[in-house]
Amino acid sequence: MVIRERASTPDDAIQGVAPRLVLEPSTVEEAIAAVARCAAERMAVVFVGGGTDLGLGARPSRLDAVIRTGALSRLVDHAPADQVVTAEAGMTLSALSEALARHRQRLALDAPLPGRATVGGVVAANAFGPRRTRFGAARDLVLGVSLVRADGVAAKGGGKVVKNVAGFDLPRLMVGSLGTLALLTTVTFRVHPLPETEVTVLFPGLDPDQVRGFAQAWRAAQLEPSSAAAVFASDRLDLGLRVEGFEAGVADQVARLLDLGRRSGLAGERLGAAEGAAFWRRHDAVREGGSVRVKVASTPSRIGDLARAWLPPILGELSPAGAVVYPTLGIAFASGEPASGAGLAAGLREARIAVTATGGSLVVCEAPPAIRPAFDPWGPPPPSIDLMRALKERFDPDRRLAPGRFVGNI
Amino acid sequence: MNGRASVSDLASRMAAVVGARNCFSEGPDLLTYECDGLTHGRTRPDLVVLPGSTEEVAEVVRLARASGRPIVPRGSGTGLSGGARPVPGSVVVALSRMRRILEVNLEDGWVRVEPGVLNLDVTKHVSAAGYYYAPDPSSQSICSIGGNVAFNSGGAHCLKYGFTVNHVLGARLVLHDGKVVDIGGPALDAPGHDLLAALVGSEGMVGIVTEVTLRLLRKPETTRTFFATFPSTDEGGEAVSRIIAAGILPAAIEMMDRLAIVAAKAATGLDWPDVGAALLMDADGPAAEVEDLSARAVKIAREAGALELRLPRSEAERQLMWKGRKSAFAAVGRISPNYMVEDGVIPRSEIAPVLREIESMAKDAGLRVANVFHAGDGNLHPLVLYDAREQGQEDRAEHLGGEILRMCVRRGGSITGEHGVGAEKAAYMADMFGDDDLETMKRVRSAFDPDCCFNPGKVFPSSRLCGEKPGPGGMEHPAVKSGEVQRW
Repeated sequence: MVIRERASTPDDAIQGVAPRLVLEPSTVEEAIAAVARCAAERMAVVFVGGGTDLGLGARPSRLDAVIRTGALSRLVDHAPADQVVTAEAGMTLSALSEALARHRQRLALDAPLPGRATVGGVVAANAFGPRRTRFGAARDLVLGVSLVRADGVAAKGGGKVVKNVAGFDLPRLMVGSLGTLALLTTVTFRVHPLPETEVTVLFPGLDPDQVRGFAQAWRAAQLEPSSAAAVFASDRLDLGLRVEGFEAGVADQVARLLDLGRRSGLAGERLGAAEGAAFWRRHDAVREGGSVRVKVASTPSRIGDLARAWLPPILGELSPAGAVVYPTLGIAFASGEPASGAGLAAGLREARIAVTATGGSLVVCEAPPAIRPAFDPWGPPPPSIDLMRALKERFDPDRRLAPGRFVGNI
Repeated sequence: MNGRASVSDLASRMAAVVGARNCFSEGPDLLTYECDGLTHGRTRPDLVVLPGSTEEVAEVVRLARASGRPIVPRGSGTGLSGGARPVPGSVVVALSRMRRILEVNLEDGWVRVEPGVLNLDVTKHVSAAGYYYAPDPSSQSICSIGGNVAFNSGGAHCLKYGFTVNHVLGARLVLHDGKVVDIGGPALDAPGHDLLAALVGSEGMVGIVTEVTLRLLRKPETTRTFFATFPSTDEGGEAVSRIIAAGILPAAIEMMDRLAIVAAKAATGLDWPDVGAALLMDADGPAAEVEDLSARAVKIAREAGALELRLPRSEAERQLMWKGRKSAFAAVGRISPNYMVEDGVIPRSEIAPVLREIESMAKDAGLRVANVFHAGDGNLHPLVLYDAREQGQEDRAEHLGGEILRMCVRRGGSITGEHGVGAEKAAYMADMFGDDDLETMKRVRSAFDPDCCFNPGKVFPSSRLCGEKPGPGGMEHPAVKSGEVQRW
């Protein structure tokens, strides 16, 4: 077995820290061997999929090698009748979508940059998109994983059936762990049928209270949009609701949403396919663009605080600036170009103090290397940090996997 | 010397913490705690303690640890895998006194409860406002949230709505050293490792949960149910496959075979026909969507060979149909003196061939197997019928149950879909997972509980109780001394 390896180029640096060596395994066996080699040579290593979320987390405190999973990109198994798919970790979301679409199915995990984002990376970064509104996030869709531990030992957890509670839940434990516990080599997901049709309804120019009130109203009316996102437009919010399913059900829900809006004094419109796509492109631009990206997680009842108090100190330091709020999740993202590092750091500090005081969090997902030293990307560690450290100690006692990248300097 | 306190010493110290009547080491009350819902495996604990608060749980854990005794957490004791079965010399910590609903926030969709709160009581508490708690194990009127968290409980409706793990937002956990830690909370995506994923389904092996924050859902606008009968499970299985393939996501889709139907009829007096298979399906959601889905599913069932289709004319009639399904386990008692419930999972597309295989395995063993299952997610509940009075039947039944689980694994499935591994199925974990897989899982456990003081002997098939380390306090575990550990 010969694992492709090469010297690093500037593109291989993680937040400005360059590795000596880049390993590019193209099979699961090679991936296991690559991690084993890092273990044998005591190399600190960062795992890279499509590289779309490398801005998440702190700069590695030590870095000898990068293992890229891009060549680990096969579809391992798709059982359409069982609605289960297993893919190698380096397969992109787009490639997976294409394979699933042949059987009129999809992975309902619409993370940003699907052409580059890999299934392993999406799981490791807990990346998600607007369909989380209805289908949940990676932890709600992942069924099984194969992984390689820091010591080069391969293991698996979960299974290939939608229902399974045998053993400790390694698959969900990998979600959001950012390569600090193990390298993912394959991931098994539950998949869903592709909807017959989808329609987006737009309610433009709302204030935060109207968004919050309307979210309560459609829930009270027992309507179930599959995506709900409010995109900032100057000081107002354009709320887009996507309804998916069979024609009859979608037409009915769209009519009822519009009617419900009217009764709440909100003028909405049913968007055509092209206009609908344009709205979601505006959403994607916030999630995918900007040299600075910030995630603020709170609860749905805090939308007013989010939009009026917490995001403005950040948005005020970005130009151009954009933001999107998921009203049913209580999560918002802001992105743009920073005017000054010091100003941005002050804005982030102000927002973070307010958010964390109410039990939420503010995470910097992307920032230029030059201004990173001015702030901690994760914020204060949670009360359970000692358990996380204990977990890290059990999985990676020598602290060689993405050292220093995670919460609390893990 | 081990400094191990006598039971009476420990009992009096515990009594000082929880009150004398909430702590006992003898008497008829102790019997209840010798097993969970799986009553054929019984072990007497040294002591049973019923703390009433987080602080009391923490102190109870400290005292039990100081005495060198393993701790077995317990909810309502309805589990079906021996997960709450004590080990010799253990302290059972039962959470049934902690049943307060602490806080409700409907706008943000959560409720914070103590672990002894019963599953159905969560829904009852918010039902008037139009909300509910989704996971609905068949035992939901008696099982506790703490037990649901430990076993990642599912239910008929988890096909669409997921398991306990998808509905737990936060937890307060008492650790092995009596420290109390909060994990997660109402806000999503707290930075750090997903410790809730490690906690939910850990079968009482990482600590004792004293508060849980659960997600609440708005009730669906409409639920449409239909009941269909088929000549055999072949046509029934085919109907399920075609419904799923048509892009329909039912809220629940359940199937029963001939023997299970006979039992349910005997127990409930339902006028179900004598057929080879019956299917019960729920579709829920916005009204127009549900009417459409339901009509499509009915059409598919008919095309797949349904003999008869019934649509309930009232909510009462719908509830009766579900009662027939939910009472199926107990109903089997009507047609057999004893039975064992298994809980295997297979890829759902293999339902028909698997049922035929089970039938032939049962024939070879000279036993009968009734099948009740969550067809949508391939979760089988074969009920192995036997007569304990007949010499050797119980052993044959146990063996057959095990062989059915192994067959599920061979078909790419799992040894448990919702009941958990517990003490009973630990031996089968090695069929599903290799040594390295299990060792990796043990690392998760030991990050929380390095000395394995919580619920030893569950989940892992090894006779080593805790990785490479000896038992609590560095002394030999009482279960090893007694030889009990060989069972695991």
